[in-house]
Amino acid sequence: MVTLVSYIVVSAALLGIGIYGLSVKRNAIRILFAVEIIVNAANINFAAFSRYLNPPQVSGQVIVFYSIAASAMEAAVGLALILLAFRLNNSIDVREMDKLKG
Amino acid sequence: MEVALAVPPDIVFIILATITLLAAILALQAKELIYGAIGLGISFIGIAGFFILLDAPYLAMLQIAIYVGAVVVLILFTIMLVRREVGEEVIEKGERGEGAAGLWIAGLLAVSIAGVAALAGPNLASTPPPGQLPVSALGPVLVTEYPVPLVILALLLSAALLGALMLAKVER
Repeated sequence: MVTLVSYIVVSAALLGIGIYGLSVKRNAIRILFAVEIIVNAANINFAAFSRYLNPPQVSGQVIVFYSIAASAMEAAVGLALILLAFRLNNSIDVREMDKLKG
Repeated sequence: MEVALAVPPDIVFIILATITLLAAILALQAKELIYGAIGLGISFIGIAGFFILLDAPYLAMLQIAIYVGAVVVLILFTIMLVRREVGEEVIEKGERGEGAAGLWIAGLLAVSIAGVAALAGPNLASTPPPGQLPVSALGPVLVTEYPVPLVILALLLSAALLGALMLAKVER
């Protein structure tokens, strides 16, 4: 039986995978992957809660709509930043991006 | 629109969850970055499947058009542009200790959230209420209840577009 809890469990697992990538990976593009996975985990929760409310509410879907648009532009700006960092540093290893350190 | 499923939704849910989670792990753990990007795309398609299960076909369409169609393609182009270094993935040096720590943090977080949800289970709705939302319900709410966020989103999109152009532009 698929309940609201099943969706929350899947979304929590995706969040865990994303947090792992965010905290362990050194490659800037992989960190972007992790951020996208976390955003998607949140989106599943919004859609699931809006469906399981009684009566079903459309507001959750509206929030997912905004969230998808916002994370698309976050990916665009993030990738532009990665390209710039690669051009300046010749590396996209985030542990080597320490030029601002005094 | 009611889509008649030949298989029960439970099995569809389990298959979708397996595909989504395995593809997400592949996205982070694949040796080649480009396979990681493909794994990310598969994971996004799985999430679009969840949206269809949740009676939100418009969101599924949006997910596939924007995430799979735009974001993953953008990521693939970026990987090709920075390929010289990342083609043979930088061996993620010094990852061992951090890997264990990251696994602990992520595992504890995920298990605690899932545990709280499971404990609160009886208070949460177990079956979806019958009333199904038509796709056309989304439009009026978007422009009557949330018009200001819509306009802000449009401004933000143009600002992000200009910002990305400015950042990626090659100075001559």
